[in-house]
Amino acid sequence: MDMVFQLLFQGIGIGSVYALVALGFVLIFRATNVVNFAQGEFSMVAAFLMVIFSVDLEWPYWISFLLSLGGMAIYGALFNLGVYFPLRHRTYLPVIISTIGASILVSNSTLALYGPQPQVLQPLLDFPGFNIGTVYLDAQYLLIIGLTVVLVAFQYWFFEHTLLGKKLQATSQDKEMASLLGIPVATMIMLTFVYSAMIGGLAGILVAPILFVSIHMGGTIALKAFAATIIGGFGDVAGAIIGGLALGVIETFGAAYVSVPYKDGFAFLVLVAFLVFRPQGIFGERVAEKA
Amino acid sequence: MTNFTRRSFTSALALGVAAPAFLRSASAQSATIKIGQVVPITGPAAEAGKYAMAGAKIALDEINKKGGILGKQVEIITEDDQTTNPGAVLAFSKLATNPDIVAFVTSIRSTQVHAMAPDIAKIAKPTMFGGTDPTLTKLGNPWLFRCRPNDTYSGKVIAEFGVKELGLKKWGIVHSTDAFGTNGMKALESSLLALGVTPVAIQGYANQSQDFTPVVLALKQAGIDIISSYFTFENDLGIFARQLRQLGVNAPWVGSPSIVNTTAIKLAGAALNNTYGVADYAEDSSPEAKAFADTYRSIMKVAPDNQSSWTYDGMHLLAVAINKAGKTDPAAVRDAMLSIKGYKGAEGEYNFNANGDGLHGYNVVKNVGGKIEFAKHIEFPA
Repeated sequence: MDMVFQLLFQGIGIGSVYALVALGFVLIFRATNVVNFAQGEFSMVAAFLMVIFSVDLEWPYWISFLLSLGGMAIYGALFNLGVYFPLRHRTYLPVIISTIGASILVSNSTLALYGPQPQVLQPLLDFPGFNIGTVYLDAQYLLIIGLTVVLVAFQYWFFEHTLLGKKLQATSQDKEMASLLGIPVATMIMLTFVYSAMIGGLAGILVAPILFVSIHMGGTIALKAFAATIIGGFGDVAGAIIGGLALGVIETFGAAYVSVPYKDGFAFLVLVAFLVFRPQGIFGERVAEKA
Repeated sequence: MTNFTRRSFTSALALGVAAPAFLRSASAQSATIKIGQVVPITGPAAEAGKYAMAGAKIALDEINKKGGILGKQVEIITEDDQTTNPGAVLAFSKLATNPDIVAFVTSIRSTQVHAMAPDIAKIAKPTMFGGTDPTLTKLGNPWLFRCRPNDTYSGKVIAEFGVKELGLKKWGIVHSTDAFGTNGMKALESSLLALGVTPVAIQGYANQSQDFTPVVLALKQAGIDIISSYFTFENDLGIFARQLRQLGVNAPWVGSPSIVNTTAIKLAGAALNNTYGVADYAEDSSPEAKAFADTYRSIMKVAPDNQSSWTYDGMHLLAVAINKAGKTDPAAVRDAMLSIKGYKGAEGEYNFNANGDGLHGYNVVKNVGGKIEFAKHIEFPA
C-alpha cells in the first residue's frame, strides 16, 4: 500500500510539471491557433538563466528567480516579435515551422555557450523532504504541486474575473470580432506569449533541481505536455491540468507494474487511444475543428 | 582554370621562399624517429584531446632524455581528428602519406578506431589505441594494440569485487536500455552467473528518464543487498542516485566507469558517497601511476585521467618495442610488442596477448566524500 502512495505522489509531482508546461501550450494555442514547438525551450532557457544568475554570478536565489522570470517575459516578447508576428497573416503551417526552427536555434545556441554537460541548480528550499510512514515526500515536488494549484487558481481568476483576462479570452475566441470591439489584438497576443514564456520558465526553474539543467531538459517534458493537452482537450485550460496529472500518474504506475523501459510508451499509448476514440479530449473541442 | 589573383601570386612566392627551409628541416628530421598521433584538436572532445597530447608529450620527453629510440631523438607529428569519424580517417591518411612515420598513437574512441582500421591494415604499421570495444582486437587486424582494458573486463571486475571482496550475493542491476547499457548488463550478468550468483533484480530504463521511483521500489521489493549500474548519461545517474537514497536504499553500489566521473559526482553530490566504480586509470594504483600523476600535475595543473595515461603508456610501449626489435621494421616491432610481458605503465601492467590487448584488469575506486580513492586492482590472466 505504501508503494501505491509513493508512486501516486511521484506521479502527481511529475504530472504537475507536465501540466505547467501544457498550460503554456494551451494559452498560445488559444491565442494563435498554432502549436508552439519551442515551448520546451522556454523551460530550458529559464533554467539556464537561473544558472547564470544564481550559480555563475552567485546572486541571491530570490533575486535570481525574479530576474529569470523577468528575463522570460522579455524572451516571450522577443519570441513573439521574431517567430510569430512576421507570419501572423499566413496559415498555421509556416508558423509551426518557424517555432520548430526557433527551438533548434535556441537549443544549439545554448549548447554552444554551455556545452553538453548538465548543470546543477540548488533547490528553492533548504530541507530535502520528509517521510510519512515509509512514503518519502520530496520537498521540491511538494513545492511544484503547491505552486501548480496556486497558478491554476490564479489563472482561473485572471481569465474569468479581470478585464484584461476577458480581453485575452475574446482575442483567442475571435480575433476579428475582438478587434472590432477595440481590443488591441496584437498586444493581447504579445501578452499571451509573455505569460506563456513565464509559466513555461517557472516549470523549468522548479524542475531543474530535480532533473538538472541541460539543453535536452525541455524536449521530453514538452512532448509529454503536448500529449497532456491532447488528452485534456486542445485549448482547454482545465483539460491541460487534468491531462498532465493523469499522464504523470499513468506512466509512473505503468512503469512500476508493467515495464520500466516502456514507461514513455504508456504515455503515448494513452495519447493514441485518445486520438482514436476521443480526439476532442476529456473536455475540449475536436482537434480537427481547431487545426 | 581559375583566375591568377594577387593573393595566389604572393602565397606562391612565399612558398618558393620558404621551400628550401622546409626541405632542410625535412632532411634534418629523417635523423629522428617519427610517431604520428591522431587526436581531437577541434570539436566536442577538444578538451580531452589536450590531455591526450600532454600524456604523449610527457612520455616523449622522458624517452628523449633517456637517449631516444635506437639512439635517435623522437618526434611526434599530430593531426586533428575533429572529434568525428571522417576527421579521424582523414587525419590518419595524412599521417600515413609520410613515409618517415614508423608507428601511430590514435584514438580513445572505439568508433573512430573502427573507421581507421582498414587504413591501418593497409599501411601496416604498429598502431596504439584506447577504444574499449572488445571487437576491435578481434577484427583480424594485426597492427592494432590496445592500451586500455577492454569492456569485457569491467563486468568481470564488478562481479568479482562485489561477490568476493564485499561478500554480497543479492544483486540488483540497473542499466540503460541502449547498446552500451544492455551489453554491460549482459556481461555483468554472465560474470555473476560464473561466480554462482543469479541477480535478483535487473531493471532497464530508457535514457533521459525523469523519474526512477518505480526502479528504486522494484529494487527494494526484491530485497537486494548490492546494486550495480550501467548508466550512459550522468543526469540519469544523478536522478537515480538521489531517489535511491531518498527512498532509503543504502546498499553498497558498484558502478560502471561513469559513476566516478567528475560530472556525475557534481550532479549527484552526497548521494554517491561511498559508492564504488571501476576505472582503468587510478592515481594511487601503482608507483608508476603515481609518478605519472605527479609529472602531469606539475605541467598541466589538473589531475590526470585516462585520456592522458593511455597515450603516455602507448608512446613508452612503442619505444620499448622498437628498441627491443632493434629496428623500425613494422613486423619486427609487432613481434617485439607482442612479446612485452610485465611492463608497468600508468594504466597498469601490460602483457600483450595475441590479439593485441595489453591490459587485463581494472582498478576499483571508491567515492569518499566526493574524492576518488583507490580501493583495489583486480587482474585477470591475459
